[in-house]
Amino acid sequence: MTKCKKKKRQDDFQKVKLKVGKTKPKAGNATNINFRTKGINLTEQLKKDANAPTTHRKLNIKDLLSQLHHYSGTVKQGALVGLRELLTLHPSELDQHLSSLLSEAAAVFTDKDPNVRMSATRLLRFIAQSVPAERTSPFFPLLSAHLSCAMTHIETGIQEDALKVLDVLLDHYPALLAARPALLLTNFLELISHRSTGGGARKGQEGKGRSWALSVNPNRNVTGQQWRLTVLFRLGRFLQAVVEERRGEEGVACVSGDMFSVLNGQGGANAPLELNWEELTYGKGGFQVFEHSGAMPTPHSTFKLRPETEPGAGVSEGLGTGEAVRGFASTLVPLLLDVWVEASASDRSKTDSAHLLTPDAMSLMYQVLSILQLLRKLAPQREHQDTLDAWFRSEYLGDFKQHFMKNFPYGNLDTPKQRRKTDPKRSKQAPTIPGQTVEPLALNVLLCQVMVSMVTLSQGEGPAQEPDAEWLMPLRGFVQETMSSGAKLSQRHLHTLLETVWRMVTTQRSRAVTEDLLQAVYVQYQQMNLNLQTRTLLLSFYSRLYLQEHNHTHIARSRVLSRWLAALPLQLSQLGHRNPALSDRLLLSIQAAASRGNKALLNSLRTHACKLYDPQEGSVVLLPAESQQRLVQLLYFLPVMSQGLLANLSRCCTAGRVSAGLAASLIRIIHLRSSLSGWSVGSQDATLRDVDYISFLFSTLTGFSSDELATLQEAGDESVLPPSPLSPLSLYPTPLEQFTHHWDVVEEVCHCLETLGSRSQCFDVLQNGICKNLMGLAVVPDSMAAGLLRAVARLLDLSFLPSEPLLRFLSRCCLSLLSLLLTLQQDTASENNHKREAVWGACVAALSSVPRLLRLVLQSLQVRDLCEEELPQLAQILSLLLQHTALCNQMLANATLLQRIIQDLTRYCRGESKEQWMTDLLYCYSVTMATHHGNLGLRDIY
Amino acid sequence: MSAPMEIVVCADSAGQLWNCAVLELHSGTNLLAYRGGNTSSRSLTVLNGEYILGAQLGKNFINVWEIQRKDQLQQKIVCPGIVTCLTTSPNGLYLVAGIAEAIYFWEVSTGNLLAILNRHYQDLTCLRFTDDSSHFISGGKDNLALVWSLASVVQLDPSHTPEPRHVLCRHSLPITDIHCGLMGPQARIATASLDQTVKLWELSSGEILLSVLFDVGIMSVTLDPCEYYLFCGGSDGGIFQVSLCSQSLNRDQTFQSDNEGNQVFKGHRNLVTCLSVSMDGTLLLSGSHDETIRLWDIQSKQSVRVINHKGPVTNALIIPAPANMFLPDSRPGIPLPRFSRHLNPLEQGEGTETGGVCLRLAPPHTEWRSHSTVFGGGGLPSDEPGPVWPRPREETKKAH
Repeated sequence: MTKCKKKKRQDDFQKVKLKVGKTKPKAGNATNINFRTKGINLTEQLKKDANAPTTHRKLNIKDLLSQLHHYSGTVKQGALVGLRELLTLHPSELDQHLSSLLSEAAAVFTDKDPNVRMSATRLLRFIAQSVPAERTSPFFPLLSAHLSCAMTHIETGIQEDALKVLDVLLDHYPALLAARPALLLTNFLELISHRSTGGGARKGQEGKGRSWALSVNPNRNVTGQQWRLTVLFRLGRFLQAVVEERRGEEGVACVSGDMFSVLNGQGGANAPLELNWEELTYGKGGFQVFEHSGAMPTPHSTFKLRPETEPGAGVSEGLGTGEAVRGFASTLVPLLLDVWVEASASDRSKTDSAHLLTPDAMSLMYQVLSILQLLRKLAPQREHQDTLDAWFRSEYLGDFKQHFMKNFPYGNLDTPKQRRKTDPKRSKQAPTIPGQTVEPLALNVLLCQVMVSMVTLSQGEGPAQEPDAEWLMPLRGFVQETMSSGAKLSQRHLHTLLETVWRMVTTQRSRAVTEDLLQAVYVQYQQMNLNLQTRTLLLSFYSRLYLQEHNHTHIARSRVLSRWLAALPLQLSQLGHRNPALSDRLLLSIQAAASRGNKALLNSLRTHACKLYDPQEGSVVLLPAESQQRLVQLLYFLPVMSQGLLANLSRCCTAGRVSAGLAASLIRIIHLRSSLSGWSVGSQDATLRDVDYISFLFSTLTGFSSDELATLQEAGDESVLPPSPLSPLSLYPTPLEQFTHHWDVVEEVCHCLETLGSRSQCFDVLQNGICKNLMGLAVVPDSMAAGLLRAVARLLDLSFLPSEPLLRFLSRCCLSLLSLLLTLQQDTASENNHKREAVWGACVAALSSVPRLLRLVLQSLQVRDLCEEELPQLAQILSLLLQHTALCNQMLANATLLQRIIQDLTRYCRGESKEQWMTDLLYCYSVTMATHHGNLGLRDIY
Repeated sequence: MSAPMEIVVCADSAGQLWNCAVLELHSGTNLLAYRGGNTSSRSLTVLNGEYILGAQLGKNFINVWEIQRKDQLQQKIVCPGIVTCLTTSPNGLYLVAGIAEAIYFWEVSTGNLLAILNRHYQDLTCLRFTDDSSHFISGGKDNLALVWSLASVVQLDPSHTPEPRHVLCRHSLPITDIHCGLMGPQARIATASLDQTVKLWELSSGEILLSVLFDVGIMSVTLDPCEYYLFCGGSDGGIFQVSLCSQSLNRDQTFQSDNEGNQVFKGHRNLVTCLSVSMDGTLLLSGSHDETIRLWDIQSKQSVRVINHKGPVTNALIIPAPANMFLPDSRPGIPLPRFSRHLNPLEQGEGTETGGVCLRLAPPHTEWRSHSTVFGGGGLPSDEPGPVWPRPREETKKAH
C-alpha cells in the first residue's frame, strides 16, 4: 500500500525539467489564442415592434404595465402617466388591453405613494370616460375588490383616495356599483365608525343594543366632521345609484319618485301595439298579439302564487328585501344622528342662535337628510315602502323631532369676512368636498320631505292625528310661506315641495289644511313666466291630485282645485298656438275632468267653447292634430251645445283646417249627442236641439257660409266660370284640396242624415233648406253642387216626390257640373281624377235615382241657343250619359226628348256632320237604342 | 225534434210582439218568445240557466221570467234607478246591475244587496263577468273600465270600501262595449269605445296589449272562442274583423288577394250594437239599430240570415241552450228571493227572513292562493267566497 502511495505521488507531482535552449513547455492552463473575433450585427433584436405604439419615451404598453410592478414610486407614477399618454394617442390600445390595464391600475389603488394613487385615479377616470359600462362589467368584480381593499386599508391616506376612486366609478358606472351593494355599505360604515364590542349603551342611546359607534381617527389631516361629510356625500351618491338602478328594474310607473311626470297612469310597463285599421287592411304585415298563446303569464301579472321568500335573482342580496333595508337603516340611522349631534354641538359653540348654521354644518345636515330620504326609497316594492315608513316613524320619530325639528327652519350664519378669506386656503389643504355650499332653502325643503314621509295615514279623525299635528305645524307653515311668497323656486325644490304637499294633503284629512296648502301651490301656479318644465310640474301635480279625489272627499271638495279646473279652458284658449306641448297637458287635464263630469269645469268649458272652437283662431284649428283630436273628443262631454257653437263647428268642418277624418269624427260625435241618434243609455238631457242639429248638418253639407256665398255672387268673372246655355249656373271651381275635403265631409253628413229616422221627413227638411237658402244663387261652388246632388241621391225615398223648384235647381246644378266635367276631362292631370270621379258619380247617382231630374236636364238643352263651339260639348255630354249603363233605362224613357235634341243637333251642324263628335254621338245613340228598340230610332233621324 | 245545442236570445227596444225571443241558431226557427215590456241595451241575461232577466227600458225595474214559462212574467225586481246594464255571474250566484253611475251587487240566494260600488263618474254602459266568476269588468261613459275582483267586493266589513283591481283608463271617449275572453283570471278583455279604438287588455296585469284605431266609433266588440279574431261593430254599420294571430306560414305566395284576414262584414246600415260568436267560431251574430239581426258565416263573410225586428236591436247573444228551457214541466232549482233595495237589510227592518250562512273571507293576500286550482278546474273555484247554500232542488219539489 505504501508503495502504491508513493507511486501515485510521483505521478501527480512530476517535476518538469526545464532546459536551457529549449522552449518552455506550455502550461496546462494556457489559453489558446489562435482565434479571431468578428462583430455580429443583430439588426432585428433592438428594433422596436413596429406595430406597437409607444409613448414619447419609446415605451410600449407592455413595458409600461411591467413598470407598474417596479418598487420605485417614481417609476410607477411615470408608467401611469405614460399609460395615459399612450391611450390618448392610441385609443385602439384600450380595447386590446383593457383587462390587463384595469387589473394593473386597480392594483395600485393601495399603493403607499400618494402620487401614484393620484395618477392611478386619473388613469381610471380616463379609462372610464372612454369605455362603456357593458364592456367594463366583466372586470368589475376585480375593480370593486381592489376598491374595498383600499377603502378598508389601515392607512388613512389610502382610505381617502379610495373615495376618489369611488367618485370615478359613481360618475361612470353607477349601475355596476349598485348591483352588489352589500360589501360597499359595510365599508362605508367602517369608514366613519367601528364595531364596538362592548354594550351599545356607550353614549346613553336608550340601549338598543347598537353594535356600531362613531369613531374618530386623530391621524387624519382633516377634522373628523369634514371626513364624515366626505364619506356621507359618497354614501348618498351611492344610495342614489342603488335607488335609480332599482327604479330601472321595476319600470317607471310604480315608483313614487317620478310621481308628477307620469300623468294619468299612461306609463305602462310594456308598450301596447298601436294599429290603424287603414294600415291593417292595406298593409301586408300581420301581427301577433299572443306570443305564447297565453300559456305563460306575463311578468307584470299582479297575481302572485305565494309570497316571495327569496329575493329575485337580479336584485342585490344586500338591500333586496324590506328586512335587509330595515337592518341596514337600523345601523346607519343612529350613526347619522350621532354625526349630526356632534356637529351641531360644535356648531352651537360658534353661534348664538340655534337656527343659524355654519356652511359646514349645513352641508353635513343636508347629507344626513338626503341619506335618510334615500333610505326610504330603497324599499324594493311599494308595499314595503309603507311598512318601512311606519317603522321609521316608530323607531326614530322622537329622535328626529328632538334633533332636527327643534330649530327648524334653519338659516345661514353670516360668516365674518376674515373667515371667508381663509376658506380658500383651507379648501386647498383639505380635500375639496363637492356640494359644500348648501342653500338653507334646500336644506329646509329636504327636511320637510324627510319629516313628512313619517306621517302615517291617520286612521280616524280626532285624537290619532294630534301628535303629528303638533310637529307638522312649523313644516306646514314653512311650506306655505315658501310657496306663497311668490319667489321663483328652482325645479328641484319645487318638485320636493310638491311631494311634501302631496303627502301632507293625502295623509292629513282636514279640509282647511288642504285648502291652505293648495292655495299656496296655486300662487306658484299663477306666476307669470314659468318655464315649460315647471309649469308642467305644477299642472301634473294638480291633475294627479284631481284624479285622486275619489277616495279623498276633502280633496274633491277643495275650492282651489275646482277654481284651478275652471280656469283651464280659459288658459287653453289664451294660449293659442304658442305652446303646443303645454296645451296638450292642459287638454289632458280638461279631458280627465270632463269625462268625470266635473261641474265647475264643464260650466267654464261651456262659456269658453265658442272661443276654443272658433274656426279662425280657436285652439281647435291652431293646435297640432293630436290636440285637435282631443278637443273634438271633448265635445262629447259638453253639457249644452249652443247654436253659435254649432255654427263654429260647422265652419271648422268645412274650412279645411282640421283633417277630413277629424271632421268626420266631429260630425259623428255631435250625431251621438243628438237625441236623434238613438244611442243613449239611461236618461240624458238633450245637449242640442234637433233643429240646431239639422241646421248644423245642412250648413256642413253646403260647405260655404252665407257670407262666402254672397261674396262669390259679387266676385268678378275671373274667378268663376261664366254661365252659358250649357252651364246655366256659373260654377266656382273650388281648389282640389278643398273639394276632396268637402266630399269626405259630405259622405259623413249623408250617413248621419240617413240614420236620422224617417227618410222622407229628412228629405223634406233638406229640400226646404235648399229652397230657402240656395235657390237664388247664380254662382255655385262646384263642391257644393256635387255635394247636394250626392245627398239628394242618397236620401231620396221612392215614396217621396221632390218639389219642382228643387228639381229645377238641381237640374241646373247637374248640367253645369256635366259641362265642368268636360273641361276637367281635357285636363289630363292625374290629381284631378278624384274630382272627376266624384263629380261624375254625383251626377249619375242623382240622375238615375230621380228620373224627373234627367227629364228636366234634357228639356233644358235647347240646341238653337247654343253657339257653334258648344255643340260638340253637348254631344259629348249626351254620349257620356248614353254610355252609362245605370242611366240607360232612364234615357230610353226620355227617348222622344233625346231624339229631338239629336235631330236639332244634326240640323244645326249639317255642314260638318262628318265630324268625329257627331259620329260618336250617333253611334252611342244607335247602340243604346239598338239594344232595346231595334233600329227604330235611327231610321227616324234620317 | 232534438233539443237545440245553441240558441240565439235577442230583444229589441220596440218590444211590440214580445220582449225577448229565442231562436234556433242554425235554422233560425223561432222557438220561444217571452212577453211583457221591452229590454234596454246590454241588460238581457240568463241566470243560472233557470231565469231570464232583462232590465226594462227607461224604467227602474228588471223583468224576470222562469225560463220554461215564457208567457208569464215571474217577478219584477224593483231597483233604485233606471238600470243601464245588467249581468249575472256564470256560476249563478250574483246579480250585478249598473244603475246610473253606481254598480249594485246582489247575492242571488238571499236577495241581499251586498255592495254598491261608486267608482264610476258617469253612467255605466256595460258589465261583464269572467268565465270563472272571479272578476267582473264595468265600463262607463266616463271613459273608464274597471276590473273588480269578486273577493274584494264581497266583503262583509262595512268600513271597507272595495277598490277595483285595475283601472283601465286609456280610452278618451265613453266605452260602449266590453268583451271578456275565456280562461278566468288570465283572460283578455276587449273594450270598444266611441273614440274609434278597440283595446285589448290583459286581466291579470291590467296592461294594454293592443289598440286598433278605426275610422268610425266602435259600438260593440267580441272575440271568437279561440281568440284568433276580434270583431268590432262600427257606428256606420260595418263589422271589422281583426286577425290577432297572423298565420304567416305561406310566405311565398305573393299574390294573396285578401291580407291576413282583416276584413269587413258589410250589410248593416246603422250602429252595430251587439255581436256574438257561436261556440264553434263559425257563425257571427250581429244586431243593429237598423232593426235587423244578421247571422254571418265568418269564413266567407257572407250574411247567412237576416232577421227583421220592429225596433233597434238592443240585445242579441248566442248561448248554449239551458236544459230547462224546453221542458215545460221543469222548475227552477231555487226560487228567487226578494231582492233588497238597501245595503243593510237589518237596519231597514226587512231582513227577518235571511238565514244564509256567512263565511268570512280569508285575508286579502292569500286570496289567490288557489289560483292554479281555479284555473285547472275550469269550473267554479273551490273556495268561492261568500255564503254557501245547498241546492234545495229536492226540498222545493216536495214543497210544490
